[in-house]
Amino acid sequence: MPQLHDVDYTLEYPYTRTTGPVIGPFLTGLRDGRILGQRCGHRVLCPPMEFDPDTFATLEPDLVEVGPGGEVENWTWVGEPSAKHPFDRPFGFAFIKLDGADTALVHAVDTGGDPEAMSTGMRVQAQFRSERHGSIADVYFVPEADAAEQMIEPGDEPVTITEHLIGLRINEPLHPHRARFAQGLLDGKIIGQRSPVTGKVYVPGRGYDNMSRVLMSEADEVEVSNVGTVVAFTELNPVQYYGQTETEPYVRCSILFDGTDQPVIGIDIRDMTVDEMRVGMRLRCIWRDPEDRSVTDIDNRYGNIPETVYARFKPTGEPDVPADELKEHSW
Amino acid sequence: MVSLAEDVAIVAFAQTASHAHFNDSEPAMIMPCVNSVIEQVGMDRHDIDFTIAGSCDYLSGMPFAFVMNIDAVGAWPPVYESHVEMDGAWALFEGFVRLQSGDIDTVLVSGSGKCSPGSYREGFSLQTDPYVHAPIGLDPRTQAGFQAQALIAAGKATERDFAEVVARSHANAKANPYAQLSGDRSVDDLLAEPYVQQPLRRLDCPPTSDGAAAMVIARADKARELSDNPVWIRAVDHRIESHHPTLRDLTDSPSVRIAAERVGLHDGPVDIAELTVTYSPEEIILRDALGLNGDTAVNPSGGPLTGSPFMAVGLTRVIELARAIANGDGRRGVAHASSGPALQQNLLCVLEGDG
Repeated sequence: MPQLHDVDYTLEYPYTRTTGPVIGPFLTGLRDGRILGQRCGHRVLCPPMEFDPDTFATLEPDLVEVGPGGEVENWTWVGEPSAKHPFDRPFGFAFIKLDGADTALVHAVDTGGDPEAMSTGMRVQAQFRSERHGSIADVYFVPEADAAEQMIEPGDEPVTITEHLIGLRINEPLHPHRARFAQGLLDGKIIGQRSPVTGKVYVPGRGYDNMSRVLMSEADEVEVSNVGTVVAFTELNPVQYYGQTETEPYVRCSILFDGTDQPVIGIDIRDMTVDEMRVGMRLRCIWRDPEDRSVTDIDNRYGNIPETVYARFKPTGEPDVPADELKEHSW
Repeated sequence: MVSLAEDVAIVAFAQTASHAHFNDSEPAMIMPCVNSVIEQVGMDRHDIDFTIAGSCDYLSGMPFAFVMNIDAVGAWPPVYESHVEMDGAWALFEGFVRLQSGDIDTVLVSGSGKCSPGSYREGFSLQTDPYVHAPIGLDPRTQAGFQAQALIAAGKATERDFAEVVARSHANAKANPYAQLSGDRSVDDLLAEPYVQQPLRRLDCPPTSDGAAAMVIARADKARELSDNPVWIRAVDHRIESHHPTLRDLTDSPSVRIAAERVGLHDGPVDIAELTVTYSPEEIILRDALGLNGDTAVNPSGGPLTGSPFMAVGLTRVIELARAIANGDGRRGVAHASSGPALQQNLLCVLEGDG
């Protein structure tokens, strides 16, 4: 039989940003195997900036090559790298003042995992990744003695856009009420929570009644009918954004199950077209066979009644409920 | 002295324990705090004029997670409401400033955060410079490591000094029922622990924590009506340093020095200081920048090293100070909240007891 599971997902978005007149050439330089600083009066800033960090006056772009060697001014050893760090083995993060620059760049130093190799004042040298995209991550540093000669083939167009895939990993158990709701679906039951203050039944429960500001527990839970009324629907035409898995239009509706006060939103309908849907239409949940049900799409944030637990929502043939009677629940 | 248009006092406060993992939603964590402060002031929820919360969607792992948190504050029928993507201490700051206009009397403030489901090191690295820091995952613990190393290199502190901060914090937390970590730890034992972020050891860093806090603040006349023992907010100030750590003197906190001057910190005695010491070296910098001497009790609650629900932890410092003053442990003190890596942003709040 299908089992409950911990929530484990990565929320991920690609962020694209324009680079501007100073960072653009800097990132172009990194892609092409060169590190550039920005002149600021008698100083050279690296990382380069569009403004004087002391006066905040705008600086005209005026870039000059620095490095590839430099000196470590401050460092700390990363014994447990995160998934977002440049190396998956222990490494040093350092303030690196590149030769010819007057300010320091924060970057990673790979010593082959040896913290003893790190020290303030040590000499390091830039190394470039074989795959470069016009990003600060195109470069890293090693102790000067470990540096290898590199032949870098410059790219064609200047870098004017950066893309950064940001991600948040979430790992936690299902909250107790979510676990009971999900288990209910595996068992072919829809579980709601009845407010001890107002008597209103919410599906799925959130563990509280937000209208009365009261927490709810297993003692407040009730099994509700698997027959309900369509209170709203729409057709989705999938836009092909990052992470989109849908390709064809489909219907999504909200169903107010009998005896409840809050519709379950976001129910996918695959066997009816939008022209066949009506507000007020009566539908019955036809469950999948028990061994075919899955609730892996339910986490603590998203997921109500996923199509991985039902075969279809089948019209009961009863007369429609007048839309006027559903006004309170049209969501 | 700071000149205020309106005197403002804290009239009710509540906090959750600092949980290693709170196994329910963020609204379910906040709701009991909100209910407690509303009960303390004995008001109908809809008679509270303004509501403001602080939280972080990166921690919650959901776009617009802060909207869900409104479930906890009783926002239906609709209330006058706002949110800051900051610690609850900044929500308090906005509420305090809002009361200065004199047209409303009461503000409900909350702060909440669940660090346990995600990785705060990865999440908060996204708040750094998007071109030169975020793509290499420059995280707050690394920046704390830089700060620690800078203190050592400048001869301003040693690893033993860091361990002494930890030992004192954990000992103080024994009397704090909300603390997540507490106990008697010897400095030598602490120094025998391995590094997690050289020169920092595990207990130099905060525990992973979930928690929430709430408070009601009110203008003077209303405050006296709602509370027999109001704690007055005499001044609040917030200052920011560069987000480029290499452009800062990490061994000092000029932003704290300016804020201390602006709030008139030393215009009176400083009996208690509740400081957002997220990493142990920060206490050494803050004591120095605040000009504290042996007369001030620093983090009698144990501070964030013993429980650090991000986005509630700064507001909790204000609450811990307010409780101590309300209990008569001191008459005047300062609460400090921090945002950004390595004390990049600092907020000071001076509280004083009645009479």
